[in-house]
Amino acid sequence: MSESNATIELKGISKNFKKNTIIDGLDLFVNAGEFLVLLGPSGCGKSTTLRMIAGLEEPSSGKVLIDSQDRNQTKDDGHTIAMVFQDYALYPNMTVYQNLEYALKVHKVPSKNRTKLIENVLDTLNLTKYRDRLPSQLSGGQKQRVAVGRGMVKKSKIFLLDEPLSNIDVQLREKARDEIQKLHVTNNQTIVYVTHDQLEAMALGDRIAVMNQGIIQMIDIPENIYNQPTNLFVAKFIGTPQINVIEVSLKSNQLVLDETPIMQIQKPGLGADSYYLGIRPESLRCSKTKQTDLSFTVTVENIIDYGRFVQLLLVMENSHHLKAIVNNNEFKVNEKIFVTLEQTTSILFDLTTEKNLYWGNYE
Amino acid sequence: MLKKKLNLWHVLLIIIILGAIFPILFMVSNSFKTLRDSYGTMLNLIPLHPTFENYSLLNKQVNLLGLTWNTFLMATMVTVGKLLTGLLTAYAFRSYQFKGKMLIYLIFVSTIFVPFTIVMIPNYLVISKLNLLNNIIGVALPQLCDATGIMIFLKTMEKIPNSLIDAAKIDNIPNRKIFFNIVVPILKPSIVSVGAIFFINSWNEYVWPTLILKDKSSFTLPLALQNYISSEGGTNFPLAMALSTIMVVLPLIIYLIFQKYILNSISNSGLK
Repeated sequence: MSESNATIELKGISKNFKKNTIIDGLDLFVNAGEFLVLLGPSGCGKSTTLRMIAGLEEPSSGKVLIDSQDRNQTKDDGHTIAMVFQDYALYPNMTVYQNLEYALKVHKVPSKNRTKLIENVLDTLNLTKYRDRLPSQLSGGQKQRVAVGRGMVKKSKIFLLDEPLSNIDVQLREKARDEIQKLHVTNNQTIVYVTHDQLEAMALGDRIAVMNQGIIQMIDIPENIYNQPTNLFVAKFIGTPQINVIEVSLKSNQLVLDETPIMQIQKPGLGADSYYLGIRPESLRCSKTKQTDLSFTVTVENIIDYGRFVQLLLVMENSHHLKAIVNNNEFKVNEKIFVTLEQTTSILFDLTTEKNLYWGNYE
Repeated sequence: MLKKKLNLWHVLLIIIILGAIFPILFMVSNSFKTLRDSYGTMLNLIPLHPTFENYSLLNKQVNLLGLTWNTFLMATMVTVGKLLTGLLTAYAFRSYQFKGKMLIYLIFVSTIFVPFTIVMIPNYLVISKLNLLNNIIGVALPQLCDATGIMIFLKTMEKIPNSLIDAAKIDNIPNRKIFFNIVVPILKPSIVSVGAIFFINSWNEYVWPTLILKDKSSFTLPLALQNYISSEGGTNFPLAMALSTIMVVLPLIIYLIFQKYILNSISNSGLK
């Protein structure tokens, strides 16, 4: 019952369902007390990874270590791991209070401690007045809180959350997200959080592991995930509007798009070859007049005002589309304008491996 | 209510309801008629000379309490047995992966299509070898497991989300407790309605008990009833109707008590 945390280590984990390989040789280390987010598109194996940590699924090969001990060889007293499910999985036949109490009761926690624990949790989550309701009488947000509460009363070392916010209203989601973050700060448990929502991942994670097709593409702090994605997949998956990707070639220290030079580049060791250039929409400088020699003309095709910012959909002369974000819109649809690309924040990818070539100002 | 026009459907429904309810009213009313009246004014639903004579006569001739107790005991054993085996088997099919699962399930389900007449003789031989003839347990024993229950419960259990069972597993709840504390309560409506059907079927059962029960003291109600509409007692019609009425009372009470659940299970699986 100690409020401690534990490390999680996955060593060479593979998982096959029949003939399909869901996860292939995955290694992962989660530090004690860390908030790690597993992020990826649906079907990328993130939930399966979480279920293997939880012990609900056996890996086809490899090991899951919790506090350096093989989870198959240590007897779980039910206090090591707590988990919140996407559909909350509240016992429909039990009230809120009973849902929180059930596991404690089965594991013979004395009723005095039990009551105290549960009442604390109900209080923290503002659920006290709903304690005698059945799950069917609760709203989505309340159910989600009960599900989190059921995990909390266990005071477990590890807290696993499987897309806990995907079934609640957008308005409530931000509040619930803040609550989860607050819980992490106060309880300092090791948290593994699965989501397909990049905003959630960026907001919550100490580190984010971006997964695709059963492989961890990148694991790093949110800032690096956004600014220095290891490959094109990560770059495209993170960030809305999506990163612009254009195919360019390198000619005498200039990146050239269809004979038009668009960017100066000094990185030695890059051959005269074709590359993918990734530019975040906020790194496009739009203007009515030509700013530098490397500015090029585009036509404004569409303008979407999101209030906080304005998104421009631009068409280049080769009919390739670019998205730009500007704070104040001074442009009109069908207007021809100039675009200058910010060199320091743009990313160059290899054309075949799609890997980040780390150039520019990155260390 | 009356403002609504009676359409053809209503007329049809009323005819069907009358058709369903008439035999019951007929039975009850004749049980209060004298023998003479029952032959003279059989279709008259209101007895001309209402009498409790048939009931008191019946009480002298047979041990009503004993008969009811025997029938209740048998029907309860069969119902509880079928429910328990059905639920446990369905849970095993629901929760475990094992070799030949589909085949075993198909074999179970195919037993539904085996007519009773085919298993009657082998079952009889087994019961007689076990020395259970003339014993209520002998009647109940071959009926304690039933594929209908397995099938219905499996279908209902498949609606329980996996995450619910997973949530309990994460909390290290033993399987036995998951079954009794989570699965069974969720299935309560369908357990009650399937149980009611099992109970009423078993309560009314005639052929199989006739084979096993020879001694009058071990008779069930349908067996005793047979005596009043066949040669032994002569066909005393009001008496037979009185016994029939007694026989219907208990299942009717059970139905009324659990009606809420029975209707519920049709419209609602208890989840959500």
